[in-house]
Amino acid sequence: MNEVEEKFGQIYFAVLGAIALVFGVAELIASAGEGFTWGILDSSGAADPMFLPWRAIILISVGFFYLSSVRNFAEIHQLAKAVMASIMIWIVAGMAIWSRIAGSIPGEETWFNSLEGFLASYAPPYCPEMFLLPFSLVIVYYIMKEKEARMTGQK
Amino acid sequence: MPLSVDERWDLIEKISKQTVEFGAYKHTLKDAIAELTVKPLTGIPVAIAVLYGFWSFFIDFAGTLFTDGFMVRLFDEHWLPWLQSVFPGGLGNPFYALMVDAGHWENGVLVASDNCFEAFGVLTSGFFVPFGVVLWAVLAFYLVFAILEDIGYLPRLAVLVDTVLHKIGLHGYAIVPTFLALGCNIPGVTATRPLETRKQRFMMITLLSVFVPCGAQIGIMQDLVPELMGWIFLTLAIGYLGFGFILNKIVPGRSPEIIMDVPPYRMPTLRNIGRKLWIRTSRFLLVAVPFVLLGCLIVGLMYLTGAMDWLATVLGPFLMGLFGVPGETVSPLIAGFLRKDLAVGVLGGLMERGIMTTFQVFTSVVLLCIYFPCLATFALMLKEESWKEFIGSIASLVVMVLVYGGLIHLVGIMLGVA
Repeated sequence: MNEVEEKFGQIYFAVLGAIALVFGVAELIASAGEGFTWGILDSSGAADPMFLPWRAIILISVGFFYLSSVRNFAEIHQLAKAVMASIMIWIVAGMAIWSRIAGSIPGEETWFNSLEGFLASYAPPYCPEMFLLPFSLVIVYYIMKEKEARMTGQK
Repeated sequence: MPLSVDERWDLIEKISKQTVEFGAYKHTLKDAIAELTVKPLTGIPVAIAVLYGFWSFFIDFAGTLFTDGFMVRLFDEHWLPWLQSVFPGGLGNPFYALMVDAGHWENGVLVASDNCFEAFGVLTSGFFVPFGVVLWAVLAFYLVFAILEDIGYLPRLAVLVDTVLHKIGLHGYAIVPTFLALGCNIPGVTATRPLETRKQRFMMITLLSVFVPCGAQIGIMQDLVPELMGWIFLTLAIGYLGFGFILNKIVPGRSPEIIMDVPPYRMPTLRNIGRKLWIRTSRFLLVAVPFVLLGCLIVGLMYLTGAMDWLATVLGPFLMGLFGVPGETVSPLIAGFLRKDLAVGVLGGLMERGIMTTFQVFTSVVLLCIYFPCLATFALMLKEESWKEFIGSIASLVVMVLVYGGLIHLVGIMLGVA
């Protein structure tokens, strides 16, 4: 990875880490009470309140992983922290998506859901991890870059 | 002439010099990630995320999608009404009660059940428990387990929990039988074989058979008391570590180190996952289904002959006094000897009738988990342990149940919920 890419990675993941940390702390506070739904952002843990504090702990860890990866970002162990943070977001967001898929297939009164009911299952609000998911995918570019560098013998 | 230890090491060095190429090794991204997952500071949050994913998938796959989404409807709205309409005898007939629906009394009138948890016939609950609930729970569990196993995460989890498990005389590898037992106690007990000493095996088998609920039981518990699952697992984990610590102090023998291979992370193959899933799930069903059917039959017969009421009357004061649970809990406890999942199902029937408070439900579920291994695990314990160890396991089990069950009741009284 060249200097520009490294600099961009540092700034990008510092910002993403800070946002993840803020979301995580908000979820932790929310888990102590009833939770909250703010516009399209949902931190109510309505589906399963037992999961909310764990989600908060994971998100706070993600924030710390991203932030601690920023210094000397191109170094393999530092990059690994950002990769791990992204994987943790993929797990939590992936399960949130899976939960919607599982709930969208069976119908209330019929065996299978209607098309309207099916589509309505995917409507907002979404949990914070789902918002972070697309932004976390940037790490794939850096993984490819690292692989490329290894193949060409630059590392 | 045999070589001395020093001569062997010399020989090893000579061979390695000729065959191994030495040089600076640069860490790959995979190596760096592997390191992160075994260091406590970074590994614990990763383990929390993995277990979160594991549990979320389990609940949505087994609970939301299959059991609640399709199976409850299939069994309660189609299978049960169909059997109630075509099976000869009708409500009140002993054979009908055994096979389809025993019904229940409401204001002096015998009323037909409207769900398969309550019906408790061989053809209703006997089929609903293994095929409507347990199959999907076991399938979900073994799918994620196989993926974690093939990726190479499980040995890393073992390294991570090594320090904690050393405090109770076990080492990190104990996480593998524990995880396996969460699917079914039988492979869990079998997986204790690599443990080096009799002490470690005895401790591991005893702790598994008491404090680790199987996937079938977890599936039914999740269906009946989802809001209590966190508390139930916390109580079981405290029991596992607490009694493990005590056993380590009183059981004679050594707890030596074990060298474990930690493979690099790999992409799992669909073929391997599919094969493991098929082998484990089909074996599980072969063991589970006959016992569930037999359990339904025995519990049904005990109700019909009045044996269950007699036992509830005799054991009621003891159960109420020591554990704070009603005499009716005796029927799930008897069913639990055959299958724990079936026992929780029986408990579900009692809950539906509003016989117990929330704390009594919680205590009963924990008691069902710890009071005795199911018959299949019991038989395997006989095979895996010597007679002396087996009697030791059973004696420990009785003490653990009485002490821990009593303690839970005491905590409930102190908190004002019992």
